[in-house]
Amino acid sequence: MTEGSPWQNKDHETDSQSAMKAETVCFRNYRKIRVRYFAAVPDDKREVIMTGKTKKVSVPGQTKKITWKEIRRQKILLIWAAAFVIYGFIFCYLPLGGWVMAFQNYKPKDGLLGSQFVGLAKFQQLFSDATFLRVIRNTLAMGVLNLASTFIMAIVFAILLNEIRTTWWKKSIQTISYLPHFLSWIIVTGILHDVLSTSGIINELLVKAGILDNAINFFAHPKYFWWIVAFANVWKETGWNAIIYLSAITSIDPSLYEAAAIDGAGRWAKIRNITLPGIRPTIMILLLMNVGNVLNAGFEVQYLLGNGLVQSVSQTIDIYVLKWGISQGDYSMGTAAGIFKSVVSIILIVMANQIAKRTGEESLF
Amino acid sequence: MKGKKVTAMLLTAAMAMAASGGLSVNADGGDIKEFTAFFAVPGSEINDDNEVQQIIAEKTGAKVKETWLTGQTAEEAVGTMIAGGEYPDFIDGSDGMQQLYEAGALVALDDYIDQYPNIKAYLSDAQWDKLRRDDGHIYWINQFSAIYEKDMSTTHNDEAFWIQTRVLEWAGYPEIRTMDQYFDLIESYIEANPTMEDGTQNIGYTILCEDWRYFCLENAPQFLDGYPNDGSVIVKDGTTIVDYNTTPTAKEYFGKLNEEFKKGIVDPESFTQTYDEYIAKLSTGRVLGMIDQWWDFAYSVNDSLKLQGLEAQGCNYVPLPITISEDVKNQWHTTGLSGDNINEGSGLAITVSCEDVEGALQFIDDLLSEEILTLRNWGVEGVDYLTGDDGLFYRTDDMRINAADTAYKASHLCAYSYFPNYKGLSKDGINAATPSEQPQEFLDSLPDNVAACLEAYGCSTYVDMLGNNDIPGIWYPMYSYSGSMTTATPGGLAWTKMGELKHEWLPKIVMADDYDSAWEEYMDAYAQCKPEDFLSEMQEELDRRLALAE
Repeated sequence: MTEGSPWQNKDHETDSQSAMKAETVCFRNYRKIRVRYFAAVPDDKREVIMTGKTKKVSVPGQTKKITWKEIRRQKILLIWAAAFVIYGFIFCYLPLGGWVMAFQNYKPKDGLLGSQFVGLAKFQQLFSDATFLRVIRNTLAMGVLNLASTFIMAIVFAILLNEIRTTWWKKSIQTISYLPHFLSWIIVTGILHDVLSTSGIINELLVKAGILDNAINFFAHPKYFWWIVAFANVWKETGWNAIIYLSAITSIDPSLYEAAAIDGAGRWAKIRNITLPGIRPTIMILLLMNVGNVLNAGFEVQYLLGNGLVQSVSQTIDIYVLKWGISQGDYSMGTAAGIFKSVVSIILIVMANQIAKRTGEESLF
Repeated sequence: MKGKKVTAMLLTAAMAMAASGGLSVNADGGDIKEFTAFFAVPGSEINDDNEVQQIIAEKTGAKVKETWLTGQTAEEAVGTMIAGGEYPDFIDGSDGMQQLYEAGALVALDDYIDQYPNIKAYLSDAQWDKLRRDDGHIYWINQFSAIYEKDMSTTHNDEAFWIQTRVLEWAGYPEIRTMDQYFDLIESYIEANPTMEDGTQNIGYTILCEDWRYFCLENAPQFLDGYPNDGSVIVKDGTTIVDYNTTPTAKEYFGKLNEEFKKGIVDPESFTQTYDEYIAKLSTGRVLGMIDQWWDFAYSVNDSLKLQGLEAQGCNYVPLPITISEDVKNQWHTTGLSGDNINEGSGLAITVSCEDVEGALQFIDDLLSEEILTLRNWGVEGVDYLTGDDGLFYRTDDMRINAADTAYKASHLCAYSYFPNYKGLSKDGINAATPSEQPQEFLDSLPDNVAACLEAYGCSTYVDMLGNNDIPGIWYPMYSYSGSMTTATPGGLAWTKMGELKHEWLPKIVMADDYDSAWEEYMDAYAQCKPEDFLSEMQEELDRRLALAE
């Protein structure tokens, strides 16, 4: 329906349905309204409404000149939109001015305007640092590992949860499972430290079960670190991430399941042929958004769980920025590393989006 | 009836006023200035309505809200402030001091100092001169480089090999001089006593190496070779910089740790524990020995051993005079900095965000007066200490327990501990500056097991266990320079990289199956950090300091 229509809040129903309903039930003075309304809309639109069909009509109104009248009519919308544009500008674009630092030898004393420009020297310094290259590797590895594990686990969990028949049981499991999301990382890492310590419950279980001879100090071996981080992320976020899939599952038409049941489909067949395809658009959109986040592999977890022994696998770009940018006072280098991260993220998200488009899936833009 | 109502309303109004704004008016009716301070060292915040703080505020007309480092390194905290460009009125940036100076965040104090007699007298002229930065100005006042009249230290506040008194008692208080003897003792004790009285497993030796606290693992080789705590290097013969990371002693020390690690004497969680976990571990009384600085563990651990009654089991720690071999004389303990020596690397500074520099300096000056010093160090007379007929201060047992109680400390005591303070004698010339330095008070508050142990060794203080040493030379301490290095110079860059590398490799070699080859690998990796850049800059600084003294 067109904007400004008095029935527009009924957009779940088809136009003809809503028109009928309105005519018979809702508005006593419907006729009057319709006449007044129709006088205000252009002829081409009137046709759409009258026939009750949503066929695509090339509406010349889209290329219509912006008139003061039109602006006044949409005043409220414009004000709201402006608020968000201003917000975005102040908090997302204005800080980008600081990127200048990466091309300077920035000294806080001299400020942004007074510092000496050095071109790409800081980037050169960055990429000739073996630590930085290792840090990129760690970030990517942990990012991909986290993405894959939390992503798959959330879907699996949502589907499993959906299969539970008893409502109260389902609800309570759901509530319990997303509680960890509200814990801060400092608490989660504290718990992990206790659980995985040599005298912790995991070691105790493994030793008692005879799987291990001696307790392992999990945090002392670089080979475990990435998996511990992925595990921590899964534990903390699975329940929370599953919410969105659960809601997507709820919106699947129940008649499909009924039809499938009549055709003799079991649970597994229903999941494979109805649930999964039903939430596929949601999965794709979330996957795309998360790909852009791969380099945000984390800061707190690695910072809090890391120690000297595993620092070669635990440090992420964010920790590197903190260490060299903030601690060592080389703000230019920190900014350069930050720019690198942003650029790679943009490339990743554009690439993923293109792939999605090509394969005919949902895409972000 | 109406009169009553009015009275009630007036009372309510008065109470509301007292509750909201009344506290900021002092006895003279003038407003109390409120300053803010940040110290880039761990510390505990006191309550806003702290009693002694209020008394000091009434007497001086100012109070300071202090905040401390939490969960970050000093450089991180300071770097964040610089990036934001906003500072508290007072700051001690610790290892981040140089960054604050370079960012132009500090107010030059040299023009003001002469107007404040207490501040002026706090340091000697030579010390003031050492505080000057390369632009010729003084920006901060080191708070711990002043001993009034004479050194009275009873506690070894610094680094040492510590051991629980129960181990020494069990072995009949043997003389322990070397690392081998130390670990032999721990081994034989743990063999005879695998658990504590309540069945908790004993831990032979633990190593704290979280972040900047890894000195507990890292810098022992300098002490083992009989040098004092220059912190980052050895100064040989008072003229030459030597790297303690590569000495034969270093190899032997880490080799010994490796051997003990394999035997299970060294706590397997050593390299992954956090500071909190470490303190919790020591507080259970399970750990027989470790290297640490007294200030890093003793305050929290001793209080909790006392509360749990573990003093009776002999779980308190005493230091041992350990070196690499018996013919090397130890210098674990040196007299506090005073006279011409000073840690010029950090101190209390006033920032450009402070709107009342003179008021801030006046407050520091007031804090150094006799009356306020006593309030800061001893507390309130009659409540926290009593005065004997001879003018000597003393405390009752209850007062001592109060002074160890965290809640009481937060609500009542206010030491302003990172503002300039004296050690040694009090300005009255009779008492020690602080209770822990008061000889009788020290003895009375000593746990029984420590008292027995000290007596067995013929010592009267912790310091006697190690023996006192004068400050080794005019250059001392070199850490005040390495602490202020930044990555802007090759030496500073090397220093940072060496630190990173050691964080990873020292635990690795201690845990290595084949120590000798691990050591070789470590030395190769170490050489790639270009330690020679660092050492040559340290040598330049040493030469500069020596030349300055002449």
